Amino acid sequence: MALPAMRPLGCLRSLVRAYEPLPMINRRFISTAYSKRPEKVPLPKDMPPQFLSQIPLRFRPDPDRQPLKIYPAPPSARKTCKDPIGAVTESQLAVLDPKGERKAMFDYRRNPRSVKPGDIVRVTFKNGDPFNGVVLSIKLRGIETSFLLRNELTRVAVEMSVKVFSPNVNSVEIVQRSEKKRRRARLYFMRDRKHDRRSVENIVANYVRQKKAFLGGGNRRR
Amino acid sequence: MIQLKTLLSCIDNSGASIVECVNVLKKKRPATIGDRIVVVVQKQRSAGSEATTAAALANKVRRGDIRHAVVVRVKKELQRPDGSLVRFGDNACVLVNKSGDPIGTRMNGVVGQELRNKKWSKILSLAPVHV
Repeated sequence: MALPAMRPLGCLRSLVRAYEPLPMINRRFISTAYSKRPEKVPLPKDMPPQFLSQIPLRFRPDPDRQPLKIYPAPPSARKTCKDPIGAVTESQLAVLDPKGERKAMFDYRRNPRSVKPGDIVRVTFKNGDPFNGVVLSIKLRGIETSFLLRNELTRVAVEMSVKVFSPNVNSVEIVQRSEKKRRRARLYFMRDRKHDRRSVENIVANYVRQKKAFLGGGNRRR
Repeated sequence: MIQLKTLLSCIDNSGASIVECVNVLKKKRPATIGDRIVVVVQKQRSAGSEATTAAALANKVRRGDIRHAVVVRVKKELQRPDGSLVRFGDNACVLVNKSGDPIGTRMNGVVGQELRNKKWSKILSLAPVHV
C-alpha cells in the first residue's frame, strides 16, 4: 500500500481521516487514556475545487454556515431582590400590623408577655361571633403566623386554626394563663381524653362578665 | 372525608342515631360539610323502655332505611377562604328528604358554617350553635 505522503493529491480522503475524532467505541477501561483531540487543520488554500467532492460532507467548507450565536445570560433576579419572600412579608406586615402589636402578642419565643400554648384565649371576628379555646400551638411563620384553638361546644370538640394577621380578626384577648409552665410548644396531647380541658365556655363567660363590670366601673369614675 | 362505609352520627330528632354513608352525591371525592350523601340507618334512637311505643311513633325513620342526608360536621380539617381551619371531634349529618328539607324538627349540636354557602339555611336555622 502506498503511503499518503507519496500521493499527496490523490488521496485527500485518507489525509483528512487522520484528523477525524477518535471513534468512541464502548471499549473504555479504567486504564484507557484518550489523547487530546488534534487541532483542526484548515484546507489548503490553493486546492483545486474538483477535489472537494472527495472530502466528507462535514469537512467541506460551507459558505452558508454562520457561527453559532451566543446570547448573554439574562440578569439574575437574585441580584435585584435577594430575599423576595422576606420583602413580601415585610410589606404585608407593614399593612396588616403597622404597630407590631399582634406580632409581639404571639411571639412566644421572645416576648414573655405573649400568648403561650395552654392559655385560654377569646378571639372576636369582624362578623361579630367570637371563638374561645385553649391554645394548643402557635405556628410562627411570618405573615402566615397562626394559632390553634380547641374548645368543646355542645359536647363536640371543635378546633380552629386562626391566622394572627388576618384582617377578619378583630381582637384576641387572653382570658386565663395556663396554671403551670408548659414544657412543650405543641400541646397536641390535650386532644386525648385524659388531658382534654373540655369546654372553656364557663371560664370565658366569667371573664366577659368581670370585664363588663370593670369597664362599666371605669367609665363611671371618669 | 365521608365516603362509602363511613359511620356518622345523626344529630336530628328523625329517629336515627347512627347512619352509614353509601354514596356521595354530585361529587367524585369524599364528602365534607354541606355535601349531600345517601345513608343507611344503622341504629335507631330509643328513648327508654317505658316510652318505647311513643318513641317508636316519633321515629320517622327505621333501621335499614335508605335516606338522603347532609353532612354538618367532619373530623377532617376544613380550610375557610380566609385561611383559618376548622375541625370537629366527630362526623355528623342531618337527614333530609328528596326535596332537601330536613326530616327532623330539632337538632342538637354544633354545625359548620359552610352550610350557609351551600344553601342549607334551613338546617342552619335549626342548629343551636354554628362555628
